[in-house]
Amino acid sequence: MPTTIHNEAAVAGIGQTAYSKKSGVSELSLATEAVRKAIDDAGLRPSDVDGLVTYTMDSSDEVEVARTVGIGDMTFWSKVNYGGGAAVGLVAHAAMAVATGMAKNVVVYRALNGRSGQRMGQGVSGQIISSDLIHWSWYMPFGLLTPASWIALQAKLYMEKYGATSEHLAHIAITQRMHAQNNPNAAMRGKPMTMDDYMNARMICEPLRLFDCCQEDDGGCALLITSAERAKDMKQKPAVIRAVTQASFEGQEQMTSFYREDLAALPEMELAAKIIYEQSGLGAKDIDAACLYDAFTPEILMQLEAFGFCGKGEAKDFVTADSLTLGGALPNNTHGGLLSEAYLHGVNNLAEGVRLIRGTSCNQPEGVDHVLVTSGVGVPTGAVIFGQV
Amino acid sequence: MNENDKKAFETQLRTFVGRPIGPPMTGRDPVNEPMIRQWCDAMGETHPAYLDAKAAKGTIHGEIKAPPTMLQAWVMEGWEMHEGYDEPKNEQHRLHKFLADHGYTGVLGTNTEENYTRYLRLGEQVTAETVIAEISDEKATGRGIGYFITTRTSFVNEKGEDIGSMSFRVLRYKPPAEAASAGGGAGKDGKSAAVAAKPTRIKPPMGQDNAWWWEKVAKENVLPIQRCTGCGKLRHPPRPMCDACGSQKWDSIAASGRGTIHTFTVIHYPQFPGYDYPIVSIIVDLEEGERMASTLVECKPEQVAIGMPVELLIHTDEDGFKIPFFRPAK
Amino acid sequence: MTKTFKASELTIGQELPPLDLKITATLVAGGALASRDYTPVHHDRDAAVAQGLPDMFMNILTTQGLCSRYVTDWAGVDAVVTRVRTKLGGPNMPGDLLKLRGKVVAKSEKSVDVEVAGNNAWGNHVTATFTLALPA
Ligand SMILES: [Zn+2]
Repeated sequence: MPTTIHNEAAVAGIGQTAYSKKSGVSELSLATEAVRKAIDDAGLRPSDVDGLVTYTMDSSDEVEVARTVGIGDMTFWSKVNYGGGAAVGLVAHAAMAVATGMAKNVVVYRALNGRSGQRMGQGVSGQIISSDLIHWSWYMPFGLLTPASWIALQAKLYMEKYGATSEHLAHIAITQRMHAQNNPNAAMRGKPMTMDDYMNARMICEPLRLFDCCQEDDGGCALLITSAERAKDMKQKPAVIRAVTQASFEGQEQMTSFYREDLAALPEMELAAKIIYEQSGLGAKDIDAACLYDAFTPEILMQLEAFGFCGKGEAKDFVTADSLTLGGALPNNTHGGLLSEAYLHGVNNLAEGVRLIRGTSCNQPEGVDHVLVTSGVGVPTGAVIFGQV
Repeated sequence: MNENDKKAFETQLRTFVGRPIGPPMTGRDPVNEPMIRQWCDAMGETHPAYLDAKAAKGTIHGEIKAPPTMLQAWVMEGWEMHEGYDEPKNEQHRLHKFLADHGYTGVLGTNTEENYTRYLRLGEQVTAETVIAEISDEKATGRGIGYFITTRTSFVNEKGEDIGSMSFRVLRYKPPAEAASAGGGAGKDGKSAAVAAKPTRIKPPMGQDNAWWWEKVAKENVLPIQRCTGCGKLRHPPRPMCDACGSQKWDSIAASGRGTIHTFTVIHYPQFPGYDYPIVSIIVDLEEGERMASTLVECKPEQVAIGMPVELLIHTDEDGFKIPFFRPAK
Repeated sequence: MTKTFKASELTIGQELPPLDLKITATLVAGGALASRDYTPVHHDRDAAVAQGLPDMFMNILTTQGLCSRYVTDWAGVDAVVTRVRTKLGGPNMPGDLLKLRGKVVAKSEKSVDVEVAGNNAWGNHVTATFTLALPA
């Protein structure tokens, strides 16, 4: 039995639907289309799959997906909590299952009508949230109702403490928009953005302007995870899971961890960094590209520091040196990310991480051996490093 | 409606597109000073070009002109509007009745656009011609499924000169079943918005671990802070166990109400009913050492700063709900 | 209301001084009748209540008239309104406080767009964008 998850499992298939503002179909339809495509991509049959993992927020239950796709017997399933914080958790759960023999081939998925159905940008209300309703009661009456408002409180402090400005945020948004121009699936393809476009967009929650915030989209995305051994004999070049973890830090709340000493940092991401670097024996210098969770641009700055790509407070200079572009030190969100491809709750960022290892990204940098992908910021989260066989 | 009925309905609906609502409508009175003055009284207008011939001479307008947004007033039907339109009098009414008869009973004005070619002079006689310009596909909206109807009106004077135009967009919708009897539409042509009850802020959902706190705010006009009776540690937001000593026993103290702003944001969008925007949202470091989320009032957004001293203010909403806010310290 | 702004003197984002208006039954009814709008819900509380509303409410022309006054009082006598686009929201009723806030959202050599948001306890009542022709 393995003692760590290091190199035990791999992503052997990815699948996604078209991303749109109005899918016109059910979320189950999106989920099953993505799952089926991930299975096909790996060169397997639905009956080869014996495990499924999704988000607690996903409306398509595992058995409904299994029955629709034609997946037969299952020995493993689970759901991961905390919105976009779940993304990497899906991979972690699936990897544990295949590493321990609980299941052979596990598909992880997320599908949502995030624009035409229930819109997350519209915030929480007493009607929608139930399990952590009391937690939200400390914020809702005060009008702190949306992800943008919660993140803005932290971003304001970070920017003031380290002298980061709107121009630094704009750099991130514009770079990812540029990446999306080569991505046929990106919602923002054909809509390049200038500094003026960014600055003239309306203020949402200071300091966040419209294009600091990700989109809302409809779509589905899935990954097939199997053992690193079996993956070698499958159809695609595997993306081996070098290291993966979930991470929640002391004082953690869902989006509202306002009670810690230093609000200008992401200690749960620092925890994730420590664990995955230890597991893999790698460091920031070994990471060739990244898909850092980008629901809001300031999250990128704080993650660059948490994962050691630069020192505390230095991320603003790191991004203005064009480090996140294709020729830069750390090409980031080469598909456009949640900001400019689509908001698939982070699973589309995982799929891009796999493409970067395969060498099939629409913006493929040279010589990518290791890719870092993270999940939601401000929530219990996680991080994964994909590597070559 | 089954599929065939729906098709027949859609076909008939489309026949309205492009139809003038009726013959051109000429205003009862030419542009005149008494009506302008009555308008200015109501609007609190003191603009010299609308009210004072002599003063108008010294402006770009040169003479008395009608306020631009009065354009439609010159062709309003006036008194007869109070009778309503239970019997449709024009094509627009017939279109609305047709939709209402098919279950689209809700009506809501959503947008207008007016273009003023120039301001009107005294004595000009306004004529309006209105066409049903567009009917959208059936849309899912926050109110229910429905159709957006756009009418376009062109305005000319007695010489046929173009003086302006207007487009007006109305949503005609099927209210969800339970809401069908409440609220409802107002003006039959959709020129009036309708809402059933005045919205209020989202109230805190009450459970055993937090209800006591809100009740203390309401009854005692204080900002309570939970305190462990085992070791004395304060904690906010309240939780049922002390993370330092494990005690499940607690009481509370009243905060002094003094604190400083740890961080803040100014919330502009999206805007929820029941809140007053922009909201200056703050995280406060209370003097006692605990931190809490709240709202800053009596302060302009551009004057907020990290580190600013603030003081407690128990705010009471119109519906009587009490909530602890802060304002700049005196 | 004497001097009129030149377009070149204004910047995008510049704000108008705020104006809070107490809405009374007299204003709602007076505005409706001054615009010759005799629809009962704009002057007759009973008629509005019969339609399921708590009170009579302001007609669109009055709302536009108030916004127009707000914008031209600020811009000056020689400002000419050439276009108004409005997005309509919740109602405006006696007892409400209508808070008008405006800012410059676009400009060219001889004109500016001013966006006016009118909010009350119901939320947004109106968002009106005025295009003003101004001296160059
Ligand atoms: Zn204790």
